[in-house]
Amino acid sequence: MAIAKAERLMNLALCLLGTRRPLSKRELRGSIEAYLEAGSDDSFNRMFERDKDDLRELGLVIETVESLDGDIGYLARRDSNRLPPITLDAEEAAALGLAAKVWQQARLAGAASGALQKLRAAGMPEAEDTFELHHSALEPRIPVHEAAFEPLMLACRDRRPVLFDYRKANSARPEQRHVEPWTLECWRGHWYLAGFDRSRGAERVFRLSRITGKVRTSRSGAFTAPVPDVVTVRETVESWAGETATRSARIRLRTDCGYPLRSRATEVRELGDGWDELEIPYGHGLDAWLVEFGPDVVVLEPADLRADVVDRLRAVAKG
Amino acid sequence: MAINAIDQTRRMLSLVTYLRERPGARIADVARAFGITEDELISDLDVLPMCGTSFRGGDLLDIDTDGERIWWRNPDASGESTAEPLRLAADEATALLVAARAVATLPGLREGDREALVRATAKIEGAAGEVAGASSRLSVTFESEGGVFAEVDRAISERRRLWLKYYSPARDELTEREVDPIRLFAVGHTYMEAWCRLSEARRTFRLDRVAEIRLLDAPAAPPEIELRDLSEGLVQPSADDPEVVVEVAPGGRWVAEYYPHDLAEELPDGGLRITLRTPSPASLRRLALRLGRDGKIVSPQDLADSARTAAREALAAYEAEEHREGRQEYQECEDRQEQGAGA
Repeated sequence: MAIAKAERLMNLALCLLGTRRPLSKRELRGSIEAYLEAGSDDSFNRMFERDKDDLRELGLVIETVESLDGDIGYLARRDSNRLPPITLDAEEAAALGLAAKVWQQARLAGAASGALQKLRAAGMPEAEDTFELHHSALEPRIPVHEAAFEPLMLACRDRRPVLFDYRKANSARPEQRHVEPWTLECWRGHWYLAGFDRSRGAERVFRLSRITGKVRTSRSGAFTAPVPDVVTVRETVESWAGETATRSARIRLRTDCGYPLRSRATEVRELGDGWDELEIPYGHGLDAWLVEFGPDVVVLEPADLRADVVDRLRAVAKG
Repeated sequence: MAINAIDQTRRMLSLVTYLRERPGARIADVARAFGITEDELISDLDVLPMCGTSFRGGDLLDIDTDGERIWWRNPDASGESTAEPLRLAADEATALLVAARAVATLPGLREGDREALVRATAKIEGAAGEVAGASSRLSVTFESEGGVFAEVDRAISERRRLWLKYYSPARDELTEREVDPIRLFAVGHTYMEAWCRLSEARRTFRLDRVAEIRLLDAPAAPPEIELRDLSEGLVQPSADDPEVVVEVAPGGRWVAEYYPHDLAEELPDGGLRITLRTPSPASLRRLALRLGRDGKIVSPQDLADSARTAAREALAAYEAEEHREGRQEYQECEDRQEQGAGA
């Protein structure tokens, strides 16, 4: 039976960490059983390169050293691989334990528990009474349902341009976008990407659920546009969602209806006859929202909002 | 279960450093410290004796277990390779820091927990060094309604019943009810799972829809029920729920993103025909109104009709008003003329 990959990776890690001088590929092959069994040089080389990449993913700093006579050797120096001293108390440990549980995405959940295990090996105390924190009855979860998340996360991390098909909210066909990805942000349970859109030559925000098909990462490409110090994903998304009001509107609302409209009203006046008059913030998307209330809302001002709402109502009335 | 080789390697590297300091450590304690099952730990212990700085005798880790305790007989054979914990990888620092920062923003978190989290975050940032920088490329915002949250949190810890005035968007009305809270969770928005005394059933309440809340003296006594598995998504329509078919134009394709559905078929004009299930089809009247010319309910017919009727009623109000305003303007005009004539 082939030797399990975890065993092979573990052996390579121990060899590289345990040595004080660079080890050549030949030496490593002689020390690690799985490499001896690898068969051809080609398959050994491929396996070795992949394993080195995997160990680097785990955080191992592996140096490649060329000796005077041109031999290539590898080692993982203690001082570049050691976790700096860190002392956490039981409360801090418990708090991190709660935080590490929030990811509902395999890669990040694995990475978060891996981090805790390293800290545990470094002497992080165990919470004596884990009840203490759970007692705060909250269970935060970070959902990640979008397939595009992982490749984009890696591309943001490594600053690699990406190509993907993106279908805008109101268009039928996806369009290919070439993007230099900056940051990912989760707001109200949805993930968004901010980056530099090469074909449009400007900053854009994308909603991950609208990415269709695979995200392709260019291995060699580099960013061409500067990455801003502060990227404001949330503000952009909030304005899409109509949370940034630029004007205000006056509506008539039937008494006892439209609680969410009332709760954000800046002014409410009773008109009698079962109606109230409200002043509410007017941002993007208010027209569609007001139509939801059907005959319980009448828009008074501004005229353009009133016309939009009437227009929408006519479309529904026609059926 | 398929074991992820990367995660297992990561874990075993920490495990050897941990075991080195603790000869005779108990399986149960180590599994708990590492947040894994005893079976997972034992599968690691099966692999470790095959690992070392070479596979030749003496260089392999002589780690053994009797099923209760773990013994490592040659901790020095592997030299310094297992002596110290390893630095955090970029993904590890990111996963922990992003989560810690997100949780620390929850208004409902106890002050002591928040302070501990903020302290821990700073320490991790320090220990992670330059790889901590990558964590700024990912961020998560939880939203929760501070005041309501605090009341629910208190009710849960004191096991007390709550009185709520809760907004139902489906019926556009506020209802008053008493509930026995079970837990709070945050997935995008913050929710309370509770036993509703009004419907005698489990209900999930979104905290930003709680209009008023009051802590009651009565003790909470929710029946023993299994907690919902949230990983499947919040809305889990049942196969018995009535079916609704919605046809949308390209501008209404967002419906498929927001509503869990059984089927979304492409239409020739770039739209979609979406089949979904809901326990209360009437609640979709709002959707039909919102869609406007971007879509319509195909079935059931009475739901389609009710949206049309609502739109016609709403239009009637505008028309009546325009009519009235028209008359008023006319009236004002005449008044002015009279005044002019009198001057």
